[in-house]
Amino acid sequence: MAAAAAEWDSGSEAAPTGEWPPATASPVKGKAALPEESDAGASASGSSEAKVDDGNIQEAESSLREGLSLNYEEARALLGRLEYQRGNVEAALRVFDGIDLQAAIQRFQPSVSEKPLSKRSNKLRSDSSNSGSQHAASLVLEAIYLKSMSLQKLGKAMEAAKQCKSVLDAVESIFQCGIPGVMVEQKLQETVSKSVELLPELWKQAGAYQEALASYRRALLSQWNLDDECCTRIQKRFAVFLLYGGVEASPPSLASQTEGSFVPRNNLEEAILLLMILLKKWFLGKTHWDPSVMEHLTFALSVCGQTSVLAKHLEEVLPGIYPRTERWYSLALCYFAASHNEAALNLLKRSLNKNESPNDIMALLLAAKICSSSYLLASEGVDYARRAVKDVESSDGHLKSVALHFLGSCLAKKSRVASSDHQRSLLQTEALKSLNEAFSLDRHNSELIYDMGIEYAEQRNLHAALKCAKEFIDATGGSVSKGWRLLSLVLSAQQRYSEAEVVTDAALDETAKWEQGPLLRIRAKLKVAQSLPMEAVEAYRTLLALVQAQRKAYGSIKNGAEEDEDKVSEFEVWQGLANLYSSLSYWRDAEICLQKAKALKTYSATTLHAEGNIHEVREKIQDALAAYFNALSTEIEHVPSKVSIGALLAKKGPKYLPVARCFLSDALRLEPTNRMAWFYLGKVHKHDGRLVDAADCFQAASMLEDSDPVESFRSL
Amino acid sequence: MPNDVPPQPIHSAKDALDALAGILGGALPGSIATADDPADALLNDPDVASAVTGRLRGAGSGAGNDTLCRWLYDAFRANVPELQLAVLRFVPTLAGVYMCRAVSRKPLAGFEAVLLALYAHAAAQRGGAGEAETVSLPNLANPSPYHDAKVPPKAKPAELDVAVLSPPLEPHGTMRATRRARIVGAVLELYHGKLSRMPLSSKMDFCEFCVAWAGTHSKADDDDKPRLPPATDAVAGVEKWRRVPLPWELFQPVVRIVAHCLLGPSRSDELKAQAARAAECLYWRAIETMDAPALLATRSLMRLSQMVEEPIPEPSFSGTIENMAELEAMRANILNTKN
Repeated sequence: MAAAAAEWDSGSEAAPTGEWPPATASPVKGKAALPEESDAGASASGSSEAKVDDGNIQEAESSLREGLSLNYEEARALLGRLEYQRGNVEAALRVFDGIDLQAAIQRFQPSVSEKPLSKRSNKLRSDSSNSGSQHAASLVLEAIYLKSMSLQKLGKAMEAAKQCKSVLDAVESIFQCGIPGVMVEQKLQETVSKSVELLPELWKQAGAYQEALASYRRALLSQWNLDDECCTRIQKRFAVFLLYGGVEASPPSLASQTEGSFVPRNNLEEAILLLMILLKKWFLGKTHWDPSVMEHLTFALSVCGQTSVLAKHLEEVLPGIYPRTERWYSLALCYFAASHNEAALNLLKRSLNKNESPNDIMALLLAAKICSSSYLLASEGVDYARRAVKDVESSDGHLKSVALHFLGSCLAKKSRVASSDHQRSLLQTEALKSLNEAFSLDRHNSELIYDMGIEYAEQRNLHAALKCAKEFIDATGGSVSKGWRLLSLVLSAQQRYSEAEVVTDAALDETAKWEQGPLLRIRAKLKVAQSLPMEAVEAYRTLLALVQAQRKAYGSIKNGAEEDEDKVSEFEVWQGLANLYSSLSYWRDAEICLQKAKALKTYSATTLHAEGNIHEVREKIQDALAAYFNALSTEIEHVPSKVSIGALLAKKGPKYLPVARCFLSDALRLEPTNRMAWFYLGKVHKHDGRLVDAADCFQAASMLEDSDPVESFRSL
Repeated sequence: MPNDVPPQPIHSAKDALDALAGILGGALPGSIATADDPADALLNDPDVASAVTGRLRGAGSGAGNDTLCRWLYDAFRANVPELQLAVLRFVPTLAGVYMCRAVSRKPLAGFEAVLLALYAHAAAQRGGAGEAETVSLPNLANPSPYHDAKVPPKAKPAELDVAVLSPPLEPHGTMRATRRARIVGAVLELYHGKLSRMPLSSKMDFCEFCVAWAGTHSKADDDDKPRLPPATDAVAGVEKWRRVPLPWELFQPVVRIVAHCLLGPSRSDELKAQAARAAECLYWRAIETMDAPALLATRSLMRLSQMVEEPIPEPSFSGTIENMAELEAMRANILNTKN
């Protein structure tokens, strides 16, 4: 029947069915087969089957056409399908090759003369003739779809894609206003969905990536009436293709977008959008859970550094998908990457609770790593790192080395805030022991070498520190600025100023202008240390020019919101200059510089301390003391102010000696390598008559004098 | 830049092929010189590829007077898109050898000239200095072509987070050590953009160097082998590609290329296996510093490499019998209308 209706529409003479009047065409009647006729039909198709097996297509086709009164295309479609079903792909292809899709489409298409009719009457018409012509269309379209599948199986992806595309083109020209949801026969819809899904994969296999891209968009943006699962699969494959395809794609051009809608500008944006939509579909229960979607999104978002957005999506995943400790660890990674260390650590604490998974190495390592960046957490970090060292498999030297490295870092950090000398030296020894042990397991980890260098330098084992600094520069090929700075500072601590300068100059050579700030600052300080004031001033001037240029260049963009630790602030420069001028007794210049510094940072302990210094040199003791105390009240642990107060008070007479001693000891607790503090403490002891103690202090001061870097190692 | 003047300037793929034949001499089979499509031969021909990569890996390559580097430089600067692709094809080997040797601070002016030319091209492509490559993260509260969202008619669209995928490319006339990773990273980004045109062997080379750069072993390599290479690097005769510093600015483009090799449209199992290995090595490297974004990205790649891709659905047939019934129905239908 289907063929009959279709052929009457187009007025074709080709088929013998043309003589039947279309008026009686009724799908309802059509489905009601008479028993005796169906017997005959079965025998007819049975015999055709046998003939197909023999590969005698022509004969089979004609017998089918006779037996079933089908037209040429339909007969071939049915035969080809049988062949395909039996796995005879090549035979199927030969059968399908005889189908002229264009001719078939023209028959199914609403003819041009119908177009001027009003929409309503058109619709009515298509309602009545719909089912019959659809059946025929379905048959032929399925045949072309199967042809495409056959070609693909034979490795002819390009031809397969062309065939598959023609299916979609045909569907589009038959249903010009999109596929109506209700009225379409199931089989036809299935063919359409499968072809829509297949086409981009075929283009991909054929290496035609632009076509693949276009066909994905066509699949998702046109009305194909796809079901949720099918649409989900296409969206996922498209996202994967966008993420990893390595194709430079133009963004989708969509003129008809409503205002405020998000139109992706590039592959990554489009991929992320699709992945987010997929996740949302799952939240709404429209699809099943697919773990790969979250992994793709994780990759995409972490590559562009948006881990806090990723954390939000991970949090939204319903319970029961990830074991909770795994989710906590993943979230901790996200938060840590986004510098929310506290949130990250809290999650890890939960995960490492004895009732959860206290021996999870990765969580332990991450917790230790987070703790190693903070004085307050260092002690906690030591605990995590120890557990990690204990739990890691003894055969896994790599992980063990990492654990020992973090243990050493946490111990070192902890030693900086130790409350007693004894405890400090214990911690320091242990820190170095861990770092050395880590190094013996992995000699290639440059970060480890650097941390060892810092620790040796802090403990004033300058020889070892120098070795580490050199080794770090070798391991990194001089590509990491902090390595150069460490080397230069270690040399300056050894009083090898000219060598330190050579290193600094070499480092400047390897550093782009914009990042030279910290090196220029060291250079200026090296000049100061060598008592070359004019050159020092010159060095500061260069630094100032750089800093001011940076402020102009970045000021508008960054708004000073984020403090880059590798950048020298203008304030620091003025402060440095003020110190330099006051050491030369150029009071006016020093004061001007201080004013400049103050204008940039109103309440700064360093500035106040420098002011006090100037007062002190001018014998205005009360003003000086006031300034030092102000400095202390802005920054309670400001060591230079404590030392200066202690020194001033020590001069004021025996009554003040205990207070002075208090300040100086306090300063030494915070900074045990402060030479001036030891010196003044020695004086206090001497005034009080404790000569042995005084001698010890003076000795410490003199020893430290030979090992003071021009800049604290902690500034690195 | 290399100093000696080349025999003749390169204006076309043919020129480039001739010049290359002159440089490589007997290393190139004669049939290449008469190739119909010289640009294609330069990009895809396995003999050309192995001759050039062999030279690039050879001892002493990359110096200021290296004629092959000069050729790469000239070929790229000829401004012929096909030739530029052919040069990009060698980026994995170029960057791979360069990074490994640069750590030992050997003079590599030849490599550097090529890399800087590629970098300058990447910077120019960005359109204006100081332009970062950004990504606006979608917010599903706003509608998009792929989904609808219920937005109150006059509500403002929700704010979007903007992520920086690649920071601005400042001009660099020389290769300073501290900018090395950034420059090579930007060159890899350029390569990444053309990945779909790159031949398989180029990607294989890249994954091989990734493993060397990471300096760790994958578990798949050998179970009884420790994850770290032995401390003594020098093996007589063969140059060992060594571990290099991998700051994020280099790690990120590296991991994006590895992701393509692992999950991209190529169907080479060999490449996928090699990429999976690279991803794992990078993961172990990231653990050393617990670098969170690097860990997240490489961990996802490792997991994805173990997941099975969903196949494209096969056509469904409701079975032969039912099919027969359909045939009969159709026949009956026709007979019916006849009456």
